[in-house]
Amino acid sequence: MQPLMTSLGHIFYELCFFVGSFSELLYKSIKEASRKPFYFGLFIDQMYSIGIKSAPLVVVCAMSTGMVMTIQFGFGLEKYGGKPYAPTMMALSMVRELGPVFTSLMMAGRVGAGIASEIGSMKVTQQIDAIRALGTSPIKKIVIPRLLALIISMPLLTVLANTMGILSGLAVATFELGLDPTNAFQKILFSITLKDYAVGIAKTFFFAGFIGVTACHYGLNVNEGTRGVGIATTKSVVASCILIVVSDFVLTKLFWIIEKL
Amino acid sequence: MKTPSPAPTAPILQIQNFKKSFGEKEVHKNVSFSLYPGECLGLIGGSGSGKSVILRSLIGLEKPDDGKIVFNNQDITQFSEAELLNVRKKVAYVFQGGALFDSLSVYENLAYPLREHTKCDEAEISQKIKSLLAEFGLQGNEHVMPAELSGGMQKRVGLARAIIMNPEVVLYDEPTAGLDPYNTLRIQEMILDLKKKGVTSILVTHDMPTATAVCDRMALLVKGRIVFEGKLSEIKNDEQDPVFRFVNGKEVSK
Repeated sequence: MQPLMTSLGHIFYELCFFVGSFSELLYKSIKEASRKPFYFGLFIDQMYSIGIKSAPLVVVCAMSTGMVMTIQFGFGLEKYGGKPYAPTMMALSMVRELGPVFTSLMMAGRVGAGIASEIGSMKVTQQIDAIRALGTSPIKKIVIPRLLALIISMPLLTVLANTMGILSGLAVATFELGLDPTNAFQKILFSITLKDYAVGIAKTFFFAGFIGVTACHYGLNVNEGTRGVGIATTKSVVASCILIVVSDFVLTKLFWIIEKL
Repeated sequence: MKTPSPAPTAPILQIQNFKKSFGEKEVHKNVSFSLYPGECLGLIGGSGSGKSVILRSLIGLEKPDDGKIVFNNQDITQFSEAELLNVRKKVAYVFQGGALFDSLSVYENLAYPLREHTKCDEAEISQKIKSLLAEFGLQGNEHVMPAELSGGMQKRVGLARAIIMNPEVVLYDEPTAGLDPYNTLRIQEMILDLKKKGVTSILVTHDMPTATAVCDRMALLVKGRIVFEGKLSEIKNDEQDPVFRFVNGKEVSK
């Protein structure tokens, strides 16, 4: 019983530490972002490595999801005569949920892990201390460019994911389900509203913030040498994924309420 | 504890009743010493005695639990990170391993403080870096990445980066640790050159030949307290002197 209580206590302590540190880092980042200097060059570098370099992974994941969903909906609805609606359902799921969430999970894995390990390694080799010792701020130099790049690139990547997912789903609907592509495309255009699109995209801003701040938090708090870098990287991916899936429910519910107003 | 030697001028940097613990472990119980303009103070002590923690605290990389750090008559202990940026422009820190930015070339590492804190144009920056590299025997290495440099060269680049802004005080954290005699001598020469130019410094080291070669005074940290602070000439050649005991590998009582 005692080891269980100790473990629970440790988990609770870690959770409180994470919430506190996460909030502090977010607050400091917002505060420092409003002050000069702004490192535009570093931001562009991060846009390239976070945004552009993630595009192939996001596209492959979205295409696979679009194709699989179309087949599942098509064969599943066939016995009820609903096969012609498969592309529409796929597109709606893609735009509202699958595009934003899968893109964010991919980014948590690829970018979140990269940021946590890079910052963690810098911490271990005293490069973060060097940034401070040379009269500059690690938040301005390291955190803000990455966070901004994530917040800007994530919605763009989600638009790309949605487009590629829907197009690949349409291809499957045409060649596997035997549906007329023009008809299916028109149904998608008529069924999906701007609201559906906006809800999906709005979520990605939150997900980007979760991934960026979580990764920077774990990276900056590495304290067990190289082993700590590995632990921080794992924790960053796990925490980001949990935050994404849990907040997805909360945000979905919240946006439903807002839509009803 | 011996009384510090009288100094002609007011101290540039003072540590007063410095206390610091890590978890349950009380590393610094009550550390006080002063640094006077133009001198080089050697801070010596056993491994794990917390010398580097004191050095890091002097530029706000660590916060003391209690006590004061006074730089140019200002208590910097409660300074915010933004206020500390100005202190860090005047007090340079030479990291043990150099702490060079591994994604930047030697040139970019040296240009970093100049681009951040001066309005020098690229031609001036280039000129300054070239002359500094030549002074440190590193000419021709501008575009080399830190990983391609030897340990001694990395330390020299780290030292060059720290002093490129002409700081008032330089804090050396074991600059000769792990170096061969040739590189150790070169680092010693560089520290002496800076001293001749009037740079005030604190040298944390275990390397006694280097400490005796470059330091004007010594402070010995034992069990969280300074047990000796004074000139090299004040170190006695007998079994009771704490520095003598430390240098000869004997236990030093507080």
